[in-house]
Amino acid sequence: MADATESRPRQPALSIEAMGYRYAGAPIRSLDDVSLTVEPGEFVLLAGRSGSGKTSLLRAACGLVPHFHGGELEGRASVAGRDTRDFGPGELADVVGYVAQDPETQVISTTVAGELDLPLRFRGDPPASRARAIEEVALALNIAHLLPRAVATLSGGELQRVALAVALVTRPPLILLDEPTSQLDPVAGDELIWLLRRLNEEWGVAVILAEHRLERCLAAADRVVSMDAGRIAFDGSPRTFLENAVHSDPALATPAARMFSKAGIDPLPVGVRDARATLRVRGIDADPTEEAEPPSEGAPRPGQGAGGRGPGDRTRSRASRFRLGLNRSRRYGRALTSKGLWIELDPGDGPLDVIRGLDLDIDPGERVALMGRNGAGKSTLLSAAAGLLEPVKGRIESPGGVALLTQDPGDFLVRESIGDELSGPAGEAALEAVGLDLPAESDPRDLSGGERQRLALAISLAGRMDGQQLPGLIALDEPTRGMDRGLKDGLSALAATLAERGAAVLIATHDVEFAVSFAERVVLLGDGELIADADAGSVLSGGWYFASEVNRVLDIPGVTGVGQGADRLLARIARRPVS
Amino acid sequence: MKSLSPLAYVPRKGPLQSAGLGPVALYLGAYLVICFLSSDPLVLIAATVGAALAGFGAHAGRAVGFSLRLGAFLAISMIVVNGLVTSRGETVLMRLGEWPVLGRVDVTAEALAAGTVIGLRAMGTMVVIGVWSACVDPDRLLKAMHRSARRSALTATLISRLVPLAAGDQARLSRAAGLRGPGAEPVGKIALAHRLLAGSLDRAVDVAATLELRGYGQAVPVGASRPARSRFDRRFRIVGSILMASAVGSIVFGLPGLATYPGFEYSPGPVSVALAGLFAIGGLATWQRGRGAGGRRN
Repeated sequence: MADATESRPRQPALSIEAMGYRYAGAPIRSLDDVSLTVEPGEFVLLAGRSGSGKTSLLRAACGLVPHFHGGELEGRASVAGRDTRDFGPGELADVVGYVAQDPETQVISTTVAGELDLPLRFRGDPPASRARAIEEVALALNIAHLLPRAVATLSGGELQRVALAVALVTRPPLILLDEPTSQLDPVAGDELIWLLRRLNEEWGVAVILAEHRLERCLAAADRVVSMDAGRIAFDGSPRTFLENAVHSDPALATPAARMFSKAGIDPLPVGVRDARATLRVRGIDADPTEEAEPPSEGAPRPGQGAGGRGPGDRTRSRASRFRLGLNRSRRYGRALTSKGLWIELDPGDGPLDVIRGLDLDIDPGERVALMGRNGAGKSTLLSAAAGLLEPVKGRIESPGGVALLTQDPGDFLVRESIGDELSGPAGEAALEAVGLDLPAESDPRDLSGGERQRLALAISLAGRMDGQQLPGLIALDEPTRGMDRGLKDGLSALAATLAERGAAVLIATHDVEFAVSFAERVVLLGDGELIADADAGSVLSGGWYFASEVNRVLDIPGVTGVGQGADRLLARIARRPVS
Repeated sequence: MKSLSPLAYVPRKGPLQSAGLGPVALYLGAYLVICFLSSDPLVLIAATVGAALAGFGAHAGRAVGFSLRLGAFLAISMIVVNGLVTSRGETVLMRLGEWPVLGRVDVTAEALAAGTVIGLRAMGTMVVIGVWSACVDPDRLLKAMHRSARRSALTATLISRLVPLAAGDQARLSRAAGLRGPGAEPVGKIALAHRLLAGSLDRAVDVAATLELRGYGQAVPVGASRPARSRFDRRFRIVGSILMASAVGSIVFGLPGLATYPGFEYSPGPVSVALAGLFAIGGLATWQRGRGAGGRRN
């Protein structure tokens, strides 16, 4: 006799039928005729540009749409057989876990341990079972040390890991994640993706992951669903997705796929391992005689310290100062000088040295990426540069002034119109500097994400400019969160323009590919100390984590960009003996 | 890495932090009641001092300082606004002529005094809220709410999370306001408060959504644990009862306060002095005898 479970039809983890959805008061639909079925144990990557409907789809899949967001809903969605029109998010909590884009809104409890305990307690698990579940998920996500911490003291990356742990702690059969790596450093981001893959393989958890940085997670996915203007534009395998994307929307393709496409190599790779295998099969893999990319003039040679220059090495500094000083503002000398800088913060359990004896000089006109793992001290350094934090020892100076844009540009926008935020010649000059030309009566809330960011930067710049002359240092803290590649390219271009006009641009970022496109120099912090400071090509190559995808494929020192990589591949193809 | 907001709850060992929610609500609620209902400046000042003492005793000095500054700003605003919009009173200090919208503006001593009473109420209320926020574990409140109002996640969230959320947002918005260029329109406290209110309500709804996603709406499991009792419960229950009875009694039996219109009338009698003393001394209930200074300050 057949087992009862065998004869029962298997429920899809998620089933969406002809769903249309419009937020209350919105002029257009966020979802339009969406049909999607996700089977148990599938790993689905949800791709698409900003505003394409990814977040709305995830909200619909966990019942937040329409129960919390209201609006008009057509069609239906069911999770493990439960119709989301009849079951609210609370009643779906045991079958679906959801990690939203902004981890700060997902904090309920006082401590991390309390946060993890809450869903288990609500479910009625006994204390021993709760303790074990908390311990296991904390170990899996490497947050055991955070358990006693107050959630109010956690950094964005730490909060993101905690939010994911909370979603996983009850072991739901379906997990929905909305850009879970946006605030994670490359190490934590990679680890998170492979942890999800492990959960998916070993526990059979179905995963739907919305992400912009596809190079990070495409290799882990079974299937890609791409959204465009609220509709599903593509649904298929990762490789087919790339073949489709390089022709229809290259901004969605990974750097390695674009490099292969430019070099005319098939098939397009879904990851580093896949790319290397293809190159090996075609006989154009690593060539020991191949030379490293020469560093830009004045930059240190590869092999000089961890990524070029170590603390105390002034070789690059002198050369680049000379080179940059010829063309750029020398009104104030250095844009930023830090000597023996120590910064102490109290995260709630006693004072802690966050910046430890940092020496750093940045010259006018430099484009510098400030990188390092979560908690390395990047935001603290920017705050100190802007005068928000006092050093306990040493000094930090920026004689030309500092304009700092913090992580959420919305914090700068408090009035009803652009004209109310910025008026007069100072406001006009700042708007012109960021390339924003919008009517003064425009409501900041109606602007796109990129425009809001530019407006916030203009607010920070206004009055700090001397005529058309920008302040000495323009600093941005994690500005690419939630941005697609098109928006990131726009930000890179803006940074280049500001640097050309004489300002040093210092951007704290976890996004290696953005750093490749934007930075000429990379400063890498580790536990509050300077561990690498050199030209971008040197720092972003040769490492395991802080290296671009192109570099991880080719492993040629200094080759980090798609164009450089494609040129090297074409050269290898040309050198290949004709059989 | 972030520093804590002054109003954020910090887990500590102390009588106020250890006591049950009921006794603590009774104790701090008595201060809130007297601040809301009394119009006697002496009693209001004493209640503010008592609430501040309670905060200091619970090592929430930062929260008390922050609340006092915020309360002082509110109090001064209320004195100024009341002085401008109320022309009643016999003692005219300034005649400011005709103003748009307000009409004829005469600043009277009585209007300023009435504004002072409202301001003292606001300041006392702010200190009580600050002490509550810094010393009462929102997790415990949430668990208590889950037992009594589990189907209403939004209500529970607004009660348990709005103050710390607003405090966090306020810190972030103030930081961004401080980073505005000198050429941008400055952000006044009213614009900031407006933005803070709108943003905090949105955030509270977001957190309520998160609560729902965590399964808050599910039934309370059979045998869910009751909160542990504390040896300090009795202390706060007794002191809180005395203070609450005194506060309610003073209102029911009509303790005279400051009468302002048409002229001043204020004569604090022994009952007022006794009530003020009671509320000021009541703040010492959070202090622990023989405790060293090893506790971390908030």
